[in-house]
Amino acid sequence: LQLDFWLTPRGLGDPVDIHVPFRSLQPVKAHLEANGVFYSIMIEDVQTLIDDEQTEMLRSNRGLTFSTDTFNYASYHTLDEINSFMDALVAENPNLVSKIEIGRSTEKRPLYVLKFSKGGTNRPAIWIDTGIHSREWVTQASGVWFAKKIVLDHENDEGLSSILDKMDIFLEIVTNPDGFAFTHTTNRLWRKTRSKHSGSICVGVDPNRNWDAGFGGSGASGNPCSETYHGPYANSEPEVKSIVDFVKNHGNIKAFISIHSYSQLLLYPYGYTSTPAPDQKELGKDMWHDLSEKAVAALSSLYGTQYKYGSIITTIYKASGSTVDWTYDQGIKYSFTFELRDTGRYGFLLPATQVIPTAEETWLALKVIMEHTRDNPY
Amino acid sequence: IPDSGHKYYLQFTTEDYKTGENAGSCLATVLYPKAKSPPVVTIKCTPAKEQKEIQEEDNRLYQKIRHQTKPIIGNNIPDSYGNIEPALEPVWALAVAGSSYIMWEKSTEDVGYFMAQVKSVKQWIRKDDFIEFDYTVLLHKIPTQEIISCHMRLTWLPSHPLKVKYFCASENEGLDNGSGMGSGSAAGILHEKGANF
Repeated sequence: LQLDFWLTPRGLGDPVDIHVPFRSLQPVKAHLEANGVFYSIMIEDVQTLIDDEQTEMLRSNRGLTFSTDTFNYASYHTLDEINSFMDALVAENPNLVSKIEIGRSTEKRPLYVLKFSKGGTNRPAIWIDTGIHSREWVTQASGVWFAKKIVLDHENDEGLSSILDKMDIFLEIVTNPDGFAFTHTTNRLWRKTRSKHSGSICVGVDPNRNWDAGFGGSGASGNPCSETYHGPYANSEPEVKSIVDFVKNHGNIKAFISIHSYSQLLLYPYGYTSTPAPDQKELGKDMWHDLSEKAVAALSSLYGTQYKYGSIITTIYKASGSTVDWTYDQGIKYSFTFELRDTGRYGFLLPATQVIPTAEETWLALKVIMEHTRDNPY
Repeated sequence: IPDSGHKYYLQFTTEDYKTGENAGSCLATVLYPKAKSPPVVTIKCTPAKEQKEIQEEDNRLYQKIRHQTKPIIGNNIPDSYGNIEPALEPVWALAVAGSSYIMWEKSTEDVGYFMAQVKSVKQWIRKDDFIEFDYTVLLHKIPTQEIISCHMRLTWLPSHPLKVKYFCASENEGLDNGSGMGSGSAAGILHEKGANF
């Protein structure tokens, strides 16, 4: 009969568990019933369980994404998990997505950018980055979601499809990988890079004060131990320098969006000066104000999340050497910074349940900006 | 106000920290004098709930804490993933209330705070009816972006105002080990004992 006892007979009154091969089922049942022995079925089909377990094990294997369809977007991931997500996304969509290495971090980690393109050569492009400040975990998580969203919608969503017909999208999900790794291993609230500059025991430079726009002015700190330390000189941080080089070499980026958390704000230049940016008036209207208003309205339409908008210096505080001040001064007219959820209750420690809603609503605002860029070539 | 300072007129609504429900509205004036002294504040609030209901909620919170069989201890609330264990929610709520007192005292016209995390909490059992907790809370400072570690001793009995004693280490997040960087020796020592990086 080839019976396989999982719980062998021990004594009177003790249960016995038997794994019965299919062809022996009838004879075993008949025998038990004929002898008045009570039995119940614990597992209908052992093979199904084994198959399920295999799938589950393959899926939850640390650092290995087998499919971006089974990836858990509603949770926070490690650097390894995000890296393997990116590889899976590229493998699944080789005609749309490619992965570029634009440089290496201080600790020699590769700086990866995903390129979404339907073809052409050096098309006008949109740049989005998340995770430049490593503790702002909802941003990297949203970046992962955006990547998948672009792949899901690139054909059936009219807006996105027409954007990709004319433009490429570049997405850097983990813009500060050294900091990100540090938030997982050592200090969840780490913000800066992990560079060591001679003369100080303190580590790290604020990558959002290291750009060459009003560099070193007030609105950043010269103290290496400060969270807003601008660094020894502009672009001292490889994480920043690699983006600078990429933008200059590409030469055709038309919108640049850098994503932070928290505060629920949509911001535009300048941070280093209160002089309004020259481009602001388009046809007598305040271009940025109007575009921001539309983007924020789109964002709120989904879950009612309230955002404020304005220039960096008037809306939050003076900040020198910040990303979008530099990109704007390079001629990238549509330069924006987002501060995502929330407004302080959880702050950096936003529960993972809010990742997808945050990404979904932010995407609507991003689409408004991208569509405007598409419709207003320059 | 020329030669006097800056005066702000504020009208704002408040919401329950836990549920997000509307908790009332307030009218306030804040005068920051030219000389760096604490602001002069007048404030009038209209709560959304009746005094009786508020008292009942306070009592419920109090009873929840009193009914624990062992002294409550905890770390990292919320954790890295934003989770708060349901059993530790009342303790987090008290931390928010206590920290708001610290933040109230430390805020200036250009500097504000948020409570980022309860790093650790330990309950001290008292012979009387008061509940007492020893906290290490992390405050997020705007615009410097620093994370400030504060030791907070909190005592409470419903219908009594919260009693808060605190000491905040003035520190820069850039330190990997606990050596106080030019912030004065006392602060340096507290930093080493209290904060964990």
